[in-house]
Amino acid sequence: MNEINSIRRERDQMSRKSTRGLRVLLAAGLSLAVAVGAGCGGGNNNNSTSGGGGSAQGKKLTLIAGVKGDEFYITMNCGAQAEAKKEGVSLNFQGPDQFDASLQTPIVNAVAAKKPDAILIAPTDTKAMYAPIKQAESNGSKIVLVDTTLDNASVAVSQIASDNLGGGKTAADTLAKLIGGKGKVFVNNVKPGISTTDLRAKGFQEGAKAAGLQYIGQQYNQDDPAKAASITKAIIAKNPDLKGIFATNLFGAEGTASALKEAGLLGKVKIVGFDAGPKQVRDLKEGLVQALIAQRPAQIGQLGVQQAVAALTDKPVKSKIATGFVSITKDNLSQNQNALYKASC
Amino acid sequence: MSETSTAPQQEPAILEEEPRERVPWWQRFVTGSSTWIGLILVGLIVVFSALEYTSFVSSSNARNIATDAAVLLVLAVGMTYVIITAGIDLSVGAVLVFSGVVAAKLMNSVGGNNWGTILIGLVASLAAGLAWGTLNGFLVAKAKIPALIVTLGTLGMALGAALLITGGVDEREVPTKLIDTIGTGRVFNQVPYLVIIAFSVAIVFGIVLAMTRFGRNTYAIGSNEEAARRAGIAVDRHLIKVYALSGVLAGLAGFMNVARFATTTIGGHNTDNLQAIAAVVIGGTSLFGGIGTVLGSVFGVFIPAVLQNGFVIIGVQPFWQQVAVGAVLIGAVYLDQLRRRSVQNR
Amino acid sequence: MAEPLLEARGIVKNFGRVHALRGANFTVNSGEVVALVGDNGAGKSTLVKTLAGVLAPDAGEILFEGRPVAIHTPLEARALGIETVYQDLALAADLDPAANLFMGREVLRGGVLGKLGFLDKREMHRRADEAFKTLGIGLQDSSAPVANMSGGQRQGVAVSRAVTWASKVVFMDEPTAALGVVQTRHVLDLIRRVREQGLSVVLISHNMPEVFEVADRIEVLRLGERVAQFKTSDTTMEAVVGAMTGAIAQEAA
Repeated sequence: MNEINSIRRERDQMSRKSTRGLRVLLAAGLSLAVAVGAGCGGGNNNNSTSGGGGSAQGKKLTLIAGVKGDEFYITMNCGAQAEAKKEGVSLNFQGPDQFDASLQTPIVNAVAAKKPDAILIAPTDTKAMYAPIKQAESNGSKIVLVDTTLDNASVAVSQIASDNLGGGKTAADTLAKLIGGKGKVFVNNVKPGISTTDLRAKGFQEGAKAAGLQYIGQQYNQDDPAKAASITKAIIAKNPDLKGIFATNLFGAEGTASALKEAGLLGKVKIVGFDAGPKQVRDLKEGLVQALIAQRPAQIGQLGVQQAVAALTDKPVKSKIATGFVSITKDNLSQNQNALYKASC
Repeated sequence: MSETSTAPQQEPAILEEEPRERVPWWQRFVTGSSTWIGLILVGLIVVFSALEYTSFVSSSNARNIATDAAVLLVLAVGMTYVIITAGIDLSVGAVLVFSGVVAAKLMNSVGGNNWGTILIGLVASLAAGLAWGTLNGFLVAKAKIPALIVTLGTLGMALGAALLITGGVDEREVPTKLIDTIGTGRVFNQVPYLVIIAFSVAIVFGIVLAMTRFGRNTYAIGSNEEAARRAGIAVDRHLIKVYALSGVLAGLAGFMNVARFATTTIGGHNTDNLQAIAAVVIGGTSLFGGIGTVLGSVFGVFIPAVLQNGFVIIGVQPFWQQVAVGAVLIGAVYLDQLRRRSVQNR
Repeated sequence: MAEPLLEARGIVKNFGRVHALRGANFTVNSGEVVALVGDNGAGKSTLVKTLAGVLAPDAGEILFEGRPVAIHTPLEARALGIETVYQDLALAADLDPAANLFMGREVLRGGVLGKLGFLDKREMHRRADEAFKTLGIGLQDSSAPVANMSGGQRQGVAVSRAVTWASKVVFMDEPTAALGVVQTRHVLDLIRRVREQGLSVVLISHNMPEVFEVADRIEVLRLGERVAQFKTSDTTMEAVVGAMTGAIAQEAA
């Protein structure tokens, strides 16, 4: 009797095990399908085609930002998407989680595998990103560098960026006016090796000297608002007579402003920030930040697509375009609404 | 021997069965914990290939995926050993950065663009990693501080030390010979050196883990540390060696990173530790210790890498990628748990 | 009367303010099964761990074959030929029975590979299967982790390990506590077989019937001291239980 029971038990166990194996396989297949389905369904950036003539019709472009969640790049994408629609090409938007070359490289590699007709990219390092971008170019994609650039830009057909050196100088002049022409000033920078912020800091340093301000140096916040905030607090603790701070990009300006707010130095230490994201505009309205040097990211995106299309249709390409700035203060805010960055298109 | 009919337990008496044949190796392989994860990886590759054949399936794409995963793979091998001992090492990303900084600075101060300089850099990297790893091991084994706390502390110290040495500014001058050969060079113009290094590390240490006394002691300590002690295994010394190994491999990873990107990337590698842990756990290693393989960790490294590559190629909106990668990670580990529980149910 | 194989005199062991052993004595002779009994908290497990090298005594001496020895580590106990089956079995659940058998004593391959530490898994499995067969322990799959086995099988592996390596004494701490009727019977047979092989067995048990079935002598521990010694054939369960609870005190200290 016991023998029969144990045989029965064994058979049950075995059949349970084999259906279990099948069930596991089914579950694996299903979860894969779900994940891929979720992926495929999403994306309002996938295809935007419409009328518009020329042999550029139907070409595929990809825009790779320096970092995903940054309103500067989002606004750039908005401008680029609008232009893409006009030209009848499709534009895909990608970007790494942080402004880091080791995170941007796998994305460039994956995009390169798709062999898009053109890639618009903001390289996160002037040196390290050369190799992956070169590989994409060897695959046949035309490269347009937007915002940041490479030390060796020969791989690109066009470079489009704000005149960051001039922007830095403008920031220095603006800050000089705000603090009454003299006093200690400090730069809250991102990290070395980014062409745009390197130039802005350089321009500011030259401008500050020319304006007779006391430049006490710069520090790097690694594009992290929290780090920017702690740097600001430390600098103020060391230099209680600090008059003004220049933050070279959006995250830096955010962090600097929140630090000043916590320290209760609202308006006492003047900030000039680069970039005009929604939070910075709010800070401007509240008087935390006194001036914002806004770039024209939408225009950069638009020009980027234009130059890419020109390269793809054998029309003349401008190898370097410098876009301009708008200096925004509380007073002229209402007139400059369209210069502000968007959080979504 | 008569069985009492009122016996509360129904298991057959120990006496009555002959010990059966050992299960053949191929059968153990098929039901092994890493096999299912490997199948999931193959499944992903098949799905992406089906969706976007021309872009996904190419030697250059495969090469890129492997190169992008190489550094993490080296970290994951070390992490496998550590987690099998029921420990954890959060400091790997920081040790990576620190070792790269030390190597870059030393190579630049020595000067020259030859193999001698590069060798000095490599030795410096490995030594730096070994130092941090040994410190971790000592604090965990001798001072009896929980590994989570120790390695969190050395994470901060290593990163801080790297920032002190560089003043917060990346070292961006690296001997070009290093970049051209190990960093971006390929063997037979096909397989990148970085990939070869990473896979060599995986193979060597996979064999050590599976087939040597050192590997078996690692499993024993993770499964039951007290039993290992009572069996005469020098547990403290072994733990120090395991954490030292994790450190040395982080040092190697730092050297590979500098070779590839030609800059020390101080601001990066913040999530390397969690990525390595995730890869190891996906690969079937238990956080409670005693179970795991290097092969599984290799699969665990490639699943997120293939996912990210595949999603970008399909054209998924960037933010969806993270959601999907997280969901698939949980799914993969859950399926593995199911399989393991079905084997253990008695 | 020949000198005792293993003798402990005046062992003191404190854990903070808990005086687990207060000058305990213990004697094992060659080729006998001696039961170490006592109520909960009497100090039996602590005494065994001291003699197995897991714990270091605070005071007292240990004599092995007449000479004083120091047993500071499990390795030193093993070197004397003493092996232990602990109450918690001390098995690594994720490893297979052969790996557990050879834990800390792995068989290495010959030649260069051996020097590098490569294991000879086939040889270890072969010897383990032989050991299990000799002791009558049937395992369905000797390459499956011990975690997949029943309590009785795990006990069998732990006992096999101790018996395979021991050359003088095997300590068994409550070996049948978690087992059913059939498996208990089997362990007791195992103990007799071990004695037949010439080893001594120290059996710690709560179970009086078991003790009276296999043990030659009985030593009673109470509150950290030996309070009585009995020859099994000359005594009764009541006498032993009486000594355990303190109703009868035979030994002064």
